[in-house]
Amino acid sequence: MKLWAYVVRRLILLVPTLIGLTFLVFALEHAAGPGIFLQQYVNPRLPGPIKQQLIAQLTEKFHLNDPIYVQYFYWMGAILQGDWGISSQPGVVGVPVTTIFVWFMPNTILLTAVASALTWLVSIPIGVYSAARRDSLLDQGVRVATFTLYSMPIFLIGFLLFIGLGGWALPDFGNVDGVLYPALSQQPWFDPSTAVSSPTHILAFDAFLHGDLPVAWNALLHVVLPALSLTLALLAGIIRILRASMLEALEQDYIRLARAKGVSSRAVNNLHAKKNALLPTITSFGYLVAGLFSGAVVIEIIFTFRGIGWITTQAFLNSDTGVIMGSTLAFGLILVFTTLILDLLYAFLDPRIRYE
Amino acid sequence: MATVTERKGRFDEVHLSWKVFVANKPAVVGLAIFLVFVGDAIVVQVAPGVIGLQYPNDVIPPPLLSDNSTCVGQAPEPPSLAHPLGTTQFGLSGIGCLDLGQLVEKAIRIDLAISFLIVFVGAAIGTVIGVVSGYFGRLLDELMMRVTDVFFSIPFLILALAVGYVIGRTLVNMAIALIIIWWPLYARYARSLTLSTKEATFIEAARAAGSGRLKIMFKHILPNVLPPILVQISLDVGTIMAIFATLAFIGFLPSNALVPELGVLANIGVDMVGLGYWWTVVVPGGVITIFALAMNLMGDGLRDVIDPRRRS
Repeated sequence: MKLWAYVVRRLILLVPTLIGLTFLVFALEHAAGPGIFLQQYVNPRLPGPIKQQLIAQLTEKFHLNDPIYVQYFYWMGAILQGDWGISSQPGVVGVPVTTIFVWFMPNTILLTAVASALTWLVSIPIGVYSAARRDSLLDQGVRVATFTLYSMPIFLIGFLLFIGLGGWALPDFGNVDGVLYPALSQQPWFDPSTAVSSPTHILAFDAFLHGDLPVAWNALLHVVLPALSLTLALLAGIIRILRASMLEALEQDYIRLARAKGVSSRAVNNLHAKKNALLPTITSFGYLVAGLFSGAVVIEIIFTFRGIGWITTQAFLNSDTGVIMGSTLAFGLILVFTTLILDLLYAFLDPRIRYE
Repeated sequence: MATVTERKGRFDEVHLSWKVFVANKPAVVGLAIFLVFVGDAIVVQVAPGVIGLQYPNDVIPPPLLSDNSTCVGQAPEPPSLAHPLGTTQFGLSGIGCLDLGQLVEKAIRIDLAISFLIVFVGAAIGTVIGVVSGYFGRLLDELMMRVTDVFFSIPFLILALAVGYVIGRTLVNMAIALIIIWWPLYARYARSLTLSTKEATFIEAARAAGSGRLKIMFKHILPNVLPPILVQISLDVGTIMAIFATLAFIGFLPSNALVPELGVLANIGVDMVGLGYWWTVVVPGGVITIFALAMNLMGDGLRDVIDPRRRS
């Protein structure tokens, strides 16, 4: 199969996944009748007649009395037009869900980007080295450590880091120290009612852009513990996969040939085996991304780091339909497109995959 | 080895499997830890009084709820002889002197039961769907693959929250939410196992002898698919317990419906950690880690047993 044929096939496969994904979210929202869906628009404290009128309007707009597949099309139409519902939780009542994403997604992107970069930087040398010196003391240590880390619930990893480092060296909860908060809420670029800063919505960057260096530095320090926790949570899985595929690569004939013709073992490890061991690890990147987001949710809660995972959990605890369903769909879309990009990248790097 | 097994029949197969398993020392340690957990669960279920436990279903014993003098506001105590795992407190100014050791004993029963429930139900649903779609192939298989794609496309924790939000925040619904997340993994696994089994000669022979599709699927293919699935189950139980506890930890269960469950115990302790009472979260989290570790080790040993290539 040519590369372009593979790309076309992969893009066609995207269509049923996207339809299925939107249908799953729609079904969740509407399976138990229109109540859950209407919750985001209708304030229960509204006086009776106005409430009835509002419900009637919404029923007409989204065709809630029609069969379920008709409803799906009107719901889908609203989604495509950017109407993802509104939030109903304290702090951000009445804010459109899409605006919530714009406000809270940047923090999550920062957290996950730092954590994935750290994961790669640390896991590749450890995985390669551990496999190259199989059964050495270091390899044994790495195996015990990754096995233990792999078995830990993410919240325990976060708390162990917090207990170990949080007390004396690094700020822990929230996005900025409480001491700095009163002065910060006077700033024109910071909205104290929602605690959202502008224009990037990442406090460290915004403070830096507006020349408030103490806040910028402090906000940056607040990213360290969550990012380290997330890194530790991801590390074990990646090292295990990397080590296994490195061991497999080292068994290949071309490695034996390289050794036989006198290539130094360092060059064999780093040039010949590592490249081929990294390929299968890229496929596991999809799994990494899925774990990354699930992990980010837990880490954001532990450290009250105000990202999309945090606001989604708040939505769950405060029965905020719009944000929960919106996040589910948004996370789904992000994951679908990340997996697509990784698949295409993999097919580009490894022609064998196109013939499967 | 093969000739010995053939000559003496089924009993020796069990004997050999056991020898292979025992040869893997970490797996034996895993099995021992697993048995301790199971033993605890059985004792708490059948005769909690034997180990001095009362009220196995309550986080806060009812007498403490009505007695508002001695234990209210009692800060968590560190591990000591009287309380080997320390004590915890429900809320910063709430009821204290809750013995963590006893709470963990109660929690293991619930966590173990629910983790196994989730994995077994998820595996049963997934295996049947996987075998059927793998055997028939074509359109049915394509449909199954696309449906599981959809489930894989949402981060599992977010999907669990969304499902839980719709069906309600109870212990049983939490299990249902995780079954909904977990079955596609088994469907994919069972499908790939079926694909490699259905080309075997003995299946062809069965078909030639006139066996129907149902008989081939469930009498001939399923027994060959089950062993690897069972190994996967043993590997997954620990992971599921960790995910289950994580869901409870982030507040899946409403705070007025407390259940002695490891994630709930960690959740209770959250506010205490910042004050230096680290054991309130580390003890329940550590118990989950030990269990997951044991199950991973044990699963590794079971894999040795069913995979002839690893019997060396």
